[in-house]
Amino acid sequence: MEMYSLIIGVIGLILEAALILRGRRSGLLRQFSLFYSYITFYFSVSLAIFLIYWLRQDFYPLAYWFCYLVSLLAEFAILLEISDHIFEPYAAIRQLGRFLTVCICAVLCVLYILPSFLHQRSTSEALLEFSLRTSLTKVVIICALAAAARYFRLPLGRNVAGLMMGFGLYLSVYMANFAAAQSFGRTLYADILRFIGPLGSILCLAVWTVAMWQPASVSTSRRKLGDAGHRSWEELSYKLVRFNSTLTRLLRK
Amino acid sequence: MSLLAYAIIGILFILLLALLLRDKRLEEPTETVGETEYGPDLWDEKSLLLYERIFDPGDYSWLQDDLRFSHLARALVRSRKRLALRWLKAVRRSFEHEVLTPQMFPSGAETSTDFGRWRPLWLTLRFHFVWGYIFFMVRLFGPYCLLVPSFSWRHFIPELSSRRGPLRDG
Repeated sequence: MEMYSLIIGVIGLILEAALILRGRRSGLLRQFSLFYSYITFYFSVSLAIFLIYWLRQDFYPLAYWFCYLVSLLAEFAILLEISDHIFEPYAAIRQLGRFLTVCICAVLCVLYILPSFLHQRSTSEALLEFSLRTSLTKVVIICALAAAARYFRLPLGRNVAGLMMGFGLYLSVYMANFAAAQSFGRTLYADILRFIGPLGSILCLAVWTVAMWQPASVSTSRRKLGDAGHRSWEELSYKLVRFNSTLTRLLRK
Repeated sequence: MSLLAYAIIGILFILLLALLLRDKRLEEPTETVGETEYGPDLWDEKSLLLYERIFDPGDYSWLQDDLRFSHLARALVRSRKRLALRWLKAVRRSFEHEVLTPQMFPSGAETSTDFGRWRPLWLTLRFHFVWGYIFFMVRLFGPYCLLVPSFSWRHFIPELSSRRGPLRDG
């Protein structure tokens, strides 16, 4: 098991380093700044955890869970990155991604995540439940973003589609894994949990590395497309108001 | 939730995501300027007249009440309903052309206020909501239905009518 953890850990670090180096070379680092901030954070944390595992094994569980909880929250940066990139070229709906992300987060946080702390249970069970519920919240956000992109028939581009797919795989593996751990209990499932969990991360990192190898974001190419039509915010707002007032007149007939 | 529920959610999520991301329309640019059939130009006087005419029940009343050609009146409603739906779809296409054309504002032209940045989104969502409602109503009840429910029913409540009566008489 130790050898397996070592191999998975090294593969993870290599993929993260490759992502950062490639991003810097291809220029994607500036375009996807939130995503690469997360990857840099993840790389540093993985390295630190790796060193703690070999140097101070007694301190390892506490460090692992602390970093895991912080990264659970940091993962929301990827959602913001995805939401920004889908709608960025379209001025009128530029804020739609953030609007959806913030609204779903707020609603599910109040109705779904926070109530999980009300039940009395052990720390490990509470952590598993919290991880499960935040993962499900992220799944709902990704689905909402994909549905909104489909509704407006927006092209996603290989980079954004890859980010979504990789993150989706990671969340699905973690959700199924944590649900199984919760159902079967610590004694029965602890080894399998340690086995499958890191595999989900490696799968996600592999998809991201392939997707982010070359800049293929639609937003960059379409920005050039739209360059021909410079317009002011006032002009855009005026046109949208005109469409709305036409429909309002129809309602009042 | 049980293990089975989470496992099903995970599998369904991956399938749904793969389905959404595989869609051809999401991979290819949708707008081909000059090739797409745009909707009515709301800045054009003719287009406004057409819209007034489609949703105006005058012709229907004339056939139904004055000439008493009920079958012709019904045929007119059917054809006007088709026209109204086509007009609504065209308006939506036109709106989407405005909204979904990638834009780059000249440097310094980006609005600095939060209100300015959120306003186009509010207008877009409002348009889609109102459009959906009108389309649903026209499809279900035809172009001459009352889109906003009237409050004429309150006259049937004697208490309300008697209270308002003296006020109206002065």
